[in-house]
Amino acid sequence: MGKVIKYEKDNIDTDVILPGQYLKLHDYDEIAKHAMEGIDPNFHSKVQKGDFLVAGRNFGCGSSREHAPIALSQCGIKGVIAVTFARIFYRNAVDGGFLLPIEVDEDTYKKISDGDQIEVDITQNQIKNLTKNQTYTMKPFSEIVAKIIAAGGLFKYKPD
Amino acid sequence: MAKTLFEKIWDAHKVDEIDGRSLIYIDRHMVHEVTSPQAFDGLRINKRKVRRPDLTFATMDHNVPTTNRSLPIVDQISATQIKTLEKNCQEFGIPLFGLDSPYQGIVHVIGPELGITLPGTTIVCGDSHTSTHGAFGAFALGIGTSDVEHVLATQCLVLDKPKTFEIKVNGKRKNTHAITAKDIILSIIKKIGTAGGNGTVLEYRGQAISDLSMDERMTMCNMSIEGGARAGLVAPDQKTFDYLKNRKYTPKNYDDLVENWKNTLKTDDGSKFDKSFTIDASQIIPQVSWGTNPAMTTDVTESVPEPAEFARGDSSQETAAKNALQYMDLKSGTPITDIKIDRVFIGSCTNARLQDLVEAASVIQGRKASPNVRVMVVPGSQQVKKKAEEMGLDKIFKDANFEWRESGCSMCLGMNPDILSRGERCASTSNRNFEGRQGAGGRTHLVSPIMAAAAAIAGHFVDVREWV
Repeated sequence: MGKVIKYEKDNIDTDVILPGQYLKLHDYDEIAKHAMEGIDPNFHSKVQKGDFLVAGRNFGCGSSREHAPIALSQCGIKGVIAVTFARIFYRNAVDGGFLLPIEVDEDTYKKISDGDQIEVDITQNQIKNLTKNQTYTMKPFSEIVAKIIAAGGLFKYKPD
Repeated sequence: MAKTLFEKIWDAHKVDEIDGRSLIYIDRHMVHEVTSPQAFDGLRINKRKVRRPDLTFATMDHNVPTTNRSLPIVDQISATQIKTLEKNCQEFGIPLFGLDSPYQGIVHVIGPELGITLPGTTIVCGDSHTSTHGAFGAFALGIGTSDVEHVLATQCLVLDKPKTFEIKVNGKRKNTHAITAKDIILSIIKKIGTAGGNGTVLEYRGQAISDLSMDERMTMCNMSIEGGARAGLVAPDQKTFDYLKNRKYTPKNYDDLVENWKNTLKTDDGSKFDKSFTIDASQIIPQVSWGTNPAMTTDVTESVPEPAEFARGDSSQETAAKNALQYMDLKSGTPITDIKIDRVFIGSCTNARLQDLVEAASVIQGRKASPNVRVMVVPGSQQVKKKAEEMGLDKIFKDANFEWRESGCSMCLGMNPDILSRGERCASTSNRNFEGRQGAGGRTHLVSPIMAAAAAIAGHFVDVREWV
């Protein structure tokens, strides 16, 4: 179970998720302190382990910096729920084993509110909103993405 | 069966299929200081080697100051990151074009310049603008650090096959100086949107693309990622083959390779693209971005749009446009040419090659930068800098009070000392106008080099067609 931190925005880009000046940092905890600093300097202190970030279309567009999913994950974000993702961000999130990139339809995106408590069951492709007593369907992961996620990242994944 | 150029390159590099994804062989891997340290750490922890150090090339560009190279780097964290790349290259046997190298420069400028980038190859780099190399008919894509580690260790990448997206640019530009490749690509992104190319490889085709020089094609392919695409490419032609002849890493059997490429590296007649978009180059005029993503762009003759007019019924886009205008401190209805600027940046992997600098210098003609505007010209590489100086471009810039600097990514991304101050407004030849991209609170307008140089002189945007 985790709380929702929602930004009603499309095109939340990697420069907002982790501004360029912090790409010099090597230490994950230091990187995490600056997560989402571009739109919410207090983000880091809001997050508790297991929380979910909810946003609109094309989340993570822009740079290939893996620091972006690292920053979110290291803060405690378990997954990002968005209408669509930019592809490099999606890959980085999965391949590095950092967080769950969960795609939902526009309707579901609108129903989930900031502060809601939710549970995500990726085996059933279900999101349960405990605050509103609603259940939503997430877009299923492709077969290989599901396997890489289950393994904990690309390097831990072994093909059958 | 008729195949597109992309499908041919894909098929030629497919090693295996695993759980529905393909294992793709990588011909060239470019490495820089920012996205590689954790990948090298991973190799060390797991006691792995770099599988093909001979196909791996490194430089430092993102982090480096663009001031005098003989002075030490003041920022200790940057200095450490640069030193780390040096150590990693030494330990793993990777050739490095470091700060003292005559070949140092932005990774996407030096790859082609050194003949590392070749038609028909697969190229990766831990940088989203790797799409630049597609200008040579290569499948080139940006990857994150986990994938960098995977390629270092295995020389392969696990990929879903992208869809193909034909971008047809018909007709001829009405003024080949004032209307540039930057204006073509911004016009395309304006129409297809920042996610329009999501999950696809763009192939730029048509008369206007054939007419472009290699430097210009690189500008087009560079910004493919701003339309959401995995990669962008242009089929190689005689211009491509001439460009790559006699470069430092051009293969010895180059003429034989060219003969082969001429027959194979093109999209067959009758091939089908998954998507297609057509634009007429004769209708394109200079572009200026007004918002906070590259699709928020308009003609220089227009005014800052009303959010509702921009959004065309999409409420989310309308909100985005309102927020963008607030961030950019702009009012709807303001003519683009009335927007005054504080800074000009001519540089980046989008627009810091020789032709970009030649075009920028061409509008100066003895004039000087507006006294209220600080102008930085940052060549893309030491080789570009050298050639520009041989042509006397540095003198033209300096006489006009434009700063002439050392090569690097500079003010494109706000991670080295070259940044905007809060509230400063910049005409920039870079690729992203995201909030804070050039420094927290900085305001970016994307333009071509010739538009940037003209704005530097006028102190505000001008329709450069009236100048050249």
